[in-house]
Amino acid sequence: MSSPIKRRRDGRYVVRLDANARVVLANLAAQLPEALATRDPMVRRLFPPAYTADDQTAAERDYRELVDTALVNHHTRSLETLVATAEAESLSEEEFAAWLDAVGSLRLVLGTRIDVHEDMEAPDPQDPMAAEYGLFVFLGELQYLMVEILAEDLPDEGRPEGAL
Amino acid sequence: MRLPSRRRRATRPTGPTGRMAPGAVVPPETAPVGDIETILDQDTTSDRPWLVIVWNDPINLMSFVTFVLQKLFGYSKEKATALMLDIHHKGRAVVSSGTRERAELDVYRLHEHGLWATMEQSG
Repeated sequence: MSSPIKRRRDGRYVVRLDANARVVLANLAAQLPEALATRDPMVRRLFPPAYTADDQTAAERDYRELVDTALVNHHTRSLETLVATAEAESLSEEEFAAWLDAVGSLRLVLGTRIDVHEDMEAPDPQDPMAAEYGLFVFLGELQYLMVEILAEDLPDEGRPEGAL
Repeated sequence: MRLPSRRRRATRPTGPTGRMAPGAVVPPETAPVGDIETILDQDTTSDRPWLVIVWNDPINLMSFVTFVLQKLFGYSKEKATALMLDIHHKGRAVVSSGTRERAELDVYRLHEHGLWATMEQSG
């Protein structure tokens, strides 16, 4: 089966998604910026600690002060791009990268909320978590396909300098 | 991608340190006082590199972790895949190392991509 995601010859990306899925994506993405702005506990997974040693609490405080606003802005921009382009027929490289980031953020937040763990089985349909689990799986499939396309453009042999 | 510049820690003493012997010929306020960070840099403990560690987490897809390691560090697909499998099976892997500043930047770039990354000094 061919992937519903393609990179066109003009460099733009096409994501074949039905209209309902686009609405779901946009609605999910639209909810996160406020949670990010207010640092709602539900988004805590997007702010992992850098320093965890007992004697590094001051360093961790400095790190948080240094990067948290940048992290919030980065994820917020991506989510806003996803909302703004949810119905677009094709996406620029930057917009596609924003989608990947936004979908990743949504997965992390949802996955934390439903406490995803390895080898987790799908919850019973009666389970109140079942709907969120379904969204989580949908986002995972989307992320997988997006990564598959993007990975094609990375050289297998790597780059000597890395990239910034 | 750039990390916002780190504020210098305001730890430099404002006046000369140490007591002077009475009558010592030292011009006031000009005694050389080392910047605390310069002093720290000369400390042998700061020679030990900082290690950037990515931890296993149940949410991020394996292919996504491999992709991020290739993209951020320029690793070959083989090396990025091996690191990802280490993370998956052993719970963690060192993905880069270097100065504290370099490690902090790498951790930040990994955090931007939602990976659970921390840093610690080797030793």
